[in-house]
Amino acid sequence: MKISTKGRYGLEAIVDLAIHSSEGRVNLKSIAERCEMSEAYILQIFLVLRRAGIVDSIRGAQGGYVLSRDPSQITVGDILTVLEGPLAPVPCIAEKSKRAKTTCNRFDNCTARNFWESVMNTLSEVANSITIEDLVKCYNSSFSQSIDLEYYI
Amino acid sequence: MKPIGFAREEVDKLKFSTKGRYGLRAMIDLAVYSNGEYVTLASIAERQGISTNYLEQVFSALRKSGLVKSAKGAQGGYVLSESPSDIKVGRILRVLEGPLSVTDEDDENLAGNESCIRNCIRINVWEKMNNSLNELVDSVTLEDLAEDYRKRNGIDNSMYYI
Repeated sequence: MKISTKGRYGLEAIVDLAIHSSEGRVNLKSIAERCEMSEAYILQIFLVLRRAGIVDSIRGAQGGYVLSRDPSQITVGDILTVLEGPLAPVPCIAEKSKRAKTTCNRFDNCTARNFWESVMNTLSEVANSITIEDLVKCYNSSFSQSIDLEYYI
Repeated sequence: MKPIGFAREEVDKLKFSTKGRYGLRAMIDLAVYSNGEYVTLASIAERQGISTNYLEQVFSALRKSGLVKSAKGAQGGYVLSESPSDIKVGRILRVLEGPLSVTDEDDENLAGNESCIRNCIRINVWEKMNNSLNELVDSVTLEDLAEDYRKRNGIDNSMYYI
């Protein structure tokens, strides 16, 4: 029952992009350095996110990535759903698993499936309630706190 | 750790293991059909379409945790140790899956060592998801699921009290 590395790192890279977007487009190399990830890995993640319309890429020497919407309009749920698929704790409730309907004769009338669906809904509700802007705000406040701390020392 | 590509084994990480999934169904079955009597794994296996061998592994873990009791012999099998209304689903899942968390402790940096962004994500996303997940599974009892199962399958609970 774990969020994969792809989901965790993808979310981190998007928050980093949002923090640094005020300076214009952001190149993957700088995200990779700050987040201590390989550039190739972030590229794979961003290709998926671009296809899903969460980031835009700008080509050229000054190229890089920008968020395609305001950070307040992108939720953690949007990112995780693109990178992880539905937050389904069992295969038979993932939206694409129409196959489960034919392989499991209990599909439409299963107590356990109904329970797992409520787990998925709970996880999705939490993820959909947090925006990238919320995480940027958290970062900004913890960053200014650490600067204050340095001044006090 | 710097992953290079998307590892194949990551694809289904978000899923509960078959132990947790089949174990929950087997416990619902036991709550519905036992009514204080010992139930054989073979009968659970038949009703739920799960192999008896697999159920033996699952019930060995459930027995060690004290959720079920076993009896050997012709009338043997398994019975719930407590009333299903006193058993939270969260307890069953933790016995079979370990602590319920959407992140691996091993994957996370130690709290003092993590970046600001990672710290913000941990506090605002993963811990909130974990809290909601644990609250949910601890708000549902095995009896709630057994009751739902009886309704869906047209099993009249009252017949057992005659």
